[in-house]
Amino acid sequence: MNASRATAIWIALGAATLVVLVASLAMGSVALPVSRAIGALFHAHSATPDIADDIVLTLRLPRALAGFASGALLAFAGALLQVLLRNPLAEPYVLGVSGGAATFALAAMLGSLPWWGVDIAACAGAFASIVLVLGLARKDLWQSGQDASPRLLLTGVVIASGWGALITLILSVAPENRLRGMIFWLTGDLNGAAAPWPALIALAVVLAVIVPVAPQLNVLLRGDTTARALGVPVERLRLRVHLVASIAAAAAVTTAGTIGFVGLVVPHLLRLAFGNDQRMLVPAAALAGGLAVMAADLVARTVIAPAQLPVGVVTALIGVPMFLWMLLRRPR
Amino acid sequence: MILRLDAIVLRAGKRTLIDGLTQSIEAGEMWCIAGPNGAGKTTLINVLAGIAKAASGSVSLDGRALASWRATELARARALMPQAAHDAFSASVLDTVLLNRFPHLTGWGWESDEDRAAAHAALETLGLASFASRDVLTLSGGERQRVALAAVLCQNAPLLLLDEPLSHLDLHHQIDCLHALRDAARAHKRTVIFSCHDLNLARRFATHALLLDGNGGAHAGLVADVLTAERASAAFGYPLALIRDGEHEALVPSIPRS
Repeated sequence: MNASRATAIWIALGAATLVVLVASLAMGSVALPVSRAIGALFHAHSATPDIADDIVLTLRLPRALAGFASGALLAFAGALLQVLLRNPLAEPYVLGVSGGAATFALAAMLGSLPWWGVDIAACAGAFASIVLVLGLARKDLWQSGQDASPRLLLTGVVIASGWGALITLILSVAPENRLRGMIFWLTGDLNGAAAPWPALIALAVVLAVIVPVAPQLNVLLRGDTTARALGVPVERLRLRVHLVASIAAAAAVTTAGTIGFVGLVVPHLLRLAFGNDQRMLVPAAALAGGLAVMAADLVARTVIAPAQLPVGVVTALIGVPMFLWMLLRRPR
Repeated sequence: MILRLDAIVLRAGKRTLIDGLTQSIEAGEMWCIAGPNGAGKTTLINVLAGIAKAASGSVSLDGRALASWRATELARARALMPQAAHDAFSASVLDTVLLNRFPHLTGWGWESDEDRAAAHAALETLGLASFASRDVLTLSGGERQRVALAAVLCQNAPLLLLDEPLSHLDLHHQIDCLHALRDAARAHKRTVIFSCHDLNLARRFATHALLLDGNGGAHAGLVADVLTAERASAAFGYPLALIRDGEHEALVPSIPRS
């Protein structure tokens, strides 16, 4: 891997993202020509906006951007946690962030709060879970000594199972008419994701914090002793990665619910295709994750239109066979 | 580059492993650290590398205490090969070796042609040139060990600290690696410190030895004075005999007379 190859990968993924973005603006229950869809972006302040402008600007664009941002955050967080925990099975939800968000969000839905109340509850739940895991695992994150990854992973997994039990409890006492909304939230749903900006800003911030230390992540993968001997401030780096990955997962979950599979699989697909260099992988995972969720949402809202599927179902249904194919065709 | 140990004390729980070791180690010397399991060889190597703290005493490199070195500066001055390598994900042998160029990276952290040349040269030195594109997960234990050694060599540090670099290696490769290390010490005036369980290879290749007994005792000096039958027997708690055949010598476990 070198800088020019990484740049080529980023440009290819960025171009594909733009294509899917334009398709997301043009396709739907009212099909628009591509030129019309792009034109709407520049009519934003025109005196006479028509219905097509309205569809693109108030419905399709925010939804596509929200999908991109949450997918990017999830794949980014997954890639980071796989490095931090040195475990290929790690994904954004493994440390319990989504469990906390889901528990609080479902409790808010049970209490009939409006959508913004649910979002605030999800955000609060995610941060409650981050603080909880950080508090319990603080020794493993801050102290030098033996390899801390297995204990941090176990702490997160156990907290996540605790949230899982609470989620099941809420689902079992919830009235019938609320259940459908809850299930959609749990599977990951972009329907009604009206405000993409918080997630996009979060994405820009977490990338800016991690991209400069991406070379250190390569070294961290080799184990704490090696990383320390090569001059990497292991404790500080681990804390930074843990916090950033948690915040990224929290922002994604708050925006779109717990979209499954993207955070686990997108980093691995990129590793299988291009190798495991974090300098390339971290930005590429963000681009590819955003691309994947935006494309999946396009499928989710067009394939059985006017009805819609939860986007998380589409990511998993497409992702599972694709991932298995890439994994198994690879000669060892 | 002079490494100076000043009254180093190492403890494990309530046990005192090393009780006040003072020693200067100079460029061009090749030191073997020997001793029974749990005698503190790995701990001492980590202390010398500046990534672990001694119970008391201090280590200085070029007259400066290790604690006052900046981490990346220290990483350009000394390389550490830990006992075991972690490979959680696939990676090519070349990329794995290139990681040890981390202290030399500048800008956005991409390797330069110089870094690549250093990695290829290190692979060449250990006879691994044809392995460059192999996946580290497919290597045998001995091959992985040689890749780790190549990584440490390409870091280009004047001080090499190696924790059991010969484990898992067959006899031929043990000799090859020791030749490479001796070359690093003699021709390139590096300092090589390695831990090793094969006293005979140590006697043949090392210039100096540090023999630990795990109870606070430590002998340091020229290898022929330290790794004697008498001292090794005492340190390992098993009688050893020195046998000679022409110019060959070997320490072998004594056969008990029953």
